[in-house]
Amino acid sequence: MNRRDFLKAAAIAGAGLSLPHTFNALIGSAEAAGSIDLAVVSGASPARIVAAAIDAMGGIKRFVARGDIVVVKPNMGFDRTPEYAATTNPDVVAAVVKLCFEAGAKKVKIFDRSVNDPRRCYVQSGIAGAAGALGAEVSYIDERKFKDFSIKGEALKTWPLYTELFEADKVINIPIAKHHSRAKLTMSMKNWMGVMGGSRSMIHQKLDESLVDLALVIKPTLTILDAVRIMTANGPQGGSLEDVKRLDTVIVGIDQVAVDSYGATLFGMRGGDLGYVKKAAGRGLGVMDLSKLNVQKIAV
Amino acid sequence: MRNLRRIVQGLFLLLFLFLFIQTESKGVDELGYPVKLFLDFDPLIFLTTVLSAHAVAKAFYLSIVVIALTILLGRVFCGWICPLGTLNNIVSSLRKKRTPAVSRNWHKAKYYILIFLLASSLFTLQLVGIMDPLSLLIRSLSLSIYPAFNGAARAVFDTIYSSNVKGLVDVSEFFYTLFKKSILAFQQPLYYQGALIGALFLGILALNLVEKRFWCRYLCPLGALLGVFSRSSLLKRSVSEGCTSCGACDAVCQGGAAPDKKEEWRDAECFYCLNCDDVCPENAISFGFAGKKTAAVMDLGRRRVVTSMAAGAIAVPLLRTSPLLKPGGPDQKLLRPPGSLDEKEFLKRCVKCGECMKVCITNGLQPTLLEAGLEGIWSPLLVPRIGYCEYRCTLCGQVCPTGAIRRLEQKEKAKVRIGTAMVDRSRCLPHAHATPCIVCEEVCPTPKKAIWLDKVTVKDREGKEVIVEQPRVDLELCIGCGICETKCPVLGQPAIHVTSIGESRSKENQLLMNSGIDKVY
Repeated sequence: MNRRDFLKAAAIAGAGLSLPHTFNALIGSAEAAGSIDLAVVSGASPARIVAAAIDAMGGIKRFVARGDIVVVKPNMGFDRTPEYAATTNPDVVAAVVKLCFEAGAKKVKIFDRSVNDPRRCYVQSGIAGAAGALGAEVSYIDERKFKDFSIKGEALKTWPLYTELFEADKVINIPIAKHHSRAKLTMSMKNWMGVMGGSRSMIHQKLDESLVDLALVIKPTLTILDAVRIMTANGPQGGSLEDVKRLDTVIVGIDQVAVDSYGATLFGMRGGDLGYVKKAAGRGLGVMDLSKLNVQKIAV
Repeated sequence: MRNLRRIVQGLFLLLFLFLFIQTESKGVDELGYPVKLFLDFDPLIFLTTVLSAHAVAKAFYLSIVVIALTILLGRVFCGWICPLGTLNNIVSSLRKKRTPAVSRNWHKAKYYILIFLLASSLFTLQLVGIMDPLSLLIRSLSLSIYPAFNGAARAVFDTIYSSNVKGLVDVSEFFYTLFKKSILAFQQPLYYQGALIGALFLGILALNLVEKRFWCRYLCPLGALLGVFSRSSLLKRSVSEGCTSCGACDAVCQGGAAPDKKEEWRDAECFYCLNCDDVCPENAISFGFAGKKTAAVMDLGRRRVVTSMAAGAIAVPLLRTSPLLKPGGPDQKLLRPPGSLDEKEFLKRCVKCGECMKVCITNGLQPTLLEAGLEGIWSPLLVPRIGYCEYRCTLCGQVCPTGAIRRLEQKEKAKVRIGTAMVDRSRCLPHAHATPCIVCEEVCPTPKKAIWLDKVTVKDREGKEVIVEQPRVDLELCIGCGICETKCPVLGQPAIHVTSIGESRSKENQLLMNSGIDKVY
């Protein structure tokens, strides 16, 4: 390599590094899996649809490398059993944990700052049992591990966030899709409230702005939206089976804005109906326009 | 014999502490251990509850075992089993050995206390929990000693953690994790009056420095009750001719039973620790089932007995001179745990043991001071600003020994109303300040939310129209769990708060037509 070639290579690498994370990942996606942005997979077995969706996205090895410490972040915010669709489906979580270990992950960590009592949330959601059995490290939130992060967002200037999330090599978000009176729907972006410390309920005063601000600093490696069951009303607590709809679907993507935008369609809405999706897309944090996305639908 | 007794005492104390530590949620619906076991075996609570409430939880029939044991072997419960007795024993051993064993001979005091408690319970006033040793011990540990222990342990570990000394933090975190899994509470427990209740408890322990097992000898009403049964015990003590009246036995006697007095030995005061038998240089003392029993006569004095009874009877109307007992008069902040009986029946049963407060998953159950009158001191009160009633949790009813809090299935509990939440429109962000906030609605756990949002257009200071969603409470659906109050971001005085009005246990404390007691029971 002569000096000129070296400078050229350095310039290209530099340009690549300066691209936003998601954009960068999209390029990766294009190379690895024929430019699929979202995999939408339906089928009766949660484990199989998760596996198929990740395969369609290029396989787990594209996202998790040998020796990685992976944080898997389900929604375990409420003291409900899985059939009420208030918490992420435990089989979906278990399937992800299993794939991470298959890819050689050193550790899979699971935690959530719950709304109800954490012990009941972890146990009753079925997630502590299902993920724990596979060797994932399911831990309760340790208040000492929140550190003030400079977010410099529109609504969030600094906020205490959970350091374990930022210390991980890879982060996989596994929210559940459900109704929420203020956000309309809570899916991927809102699931990050689970790593917020302090009196996070205040952010409801500027919810859309705050969720977008969180997306400035939290960039998951992969997002898996659980729509095996969705909650259509009385969210996010729920509690009535009448408000639960079974879709047997997962939506997997790298761009969390795109995932949420697609998620809205499950409820008969469009991404643009959700303030935080619209704002996030406007700020270039992801793609909201589904026509600009390569969505692959698979049935297994 | 002494070592055997110490082992038995140690094992019972460990069992007691183990069950105490297990009085905590693991996230499943049931605790998995019979955490109130020691209370079930308490004949004093059994007897007073029968007298005051004319009904008793089935588990209390276990306490007949203790009575039978006492009739057979004397006060072995005090000497070998009682965890408070064992703690007193341990502290007593810290006394300077050379201090002369002065006996104050106040033994009769505990019988007067017992008579007082029995008389008042006969007239429906249940005060036994204040002094019942098991109730007292569980309450003191739950509300004071254990929180203090947790606080201290956490302070130490947190200090090391924040020191950032590499190797040291690893070691201390290893032990912290280990302790959290074993003896520390899931979250730091905090209680009103913790310091007061703890000071009383430490005072009782300190009395052992004044005189060996002071509490057990002079104050314990359970000891007195067992003393009465012990009078007819089959296990007898005899002193042979070989006795030289050296007095060695008197110095080691746990109960102050005057073992050196031979025929005048006070059988009701004997803990059957068998120290006298152990220590006797002439081997003149023996315990056995054969032979005639010789013991001092128990003379409490007729006047004093009558006075104690009268005091117990007079206490009943005296403690009930409070307007709190008027219909509609109860303290509106007096939120009782779900499944609590109607206040009068509740107070007849609650023994203030603190089990419900210990097990409360959110730490919301706190001891009352005067909210329920002096009669109800240290009974449970839900304080939503501290912790709410978890919708699907039924632990307090599971651990209540006397049924003051009924054991509820989840389905029934979902319908039991503790009180009713109401919005304070002068503090609520969307109501008073044109600022969005839906936290109370978001966390409301009833399947159809009791808190609903009314979308209204209001004006801000500049006259600009702002659409906000204002929370409203559906009085039919609200169960008063208090999660809205706990999570309300308006700190201090919350913008939504729960009062006892509408509680299903009460007939009078109602707001809506055709609601109340008949709906649930």
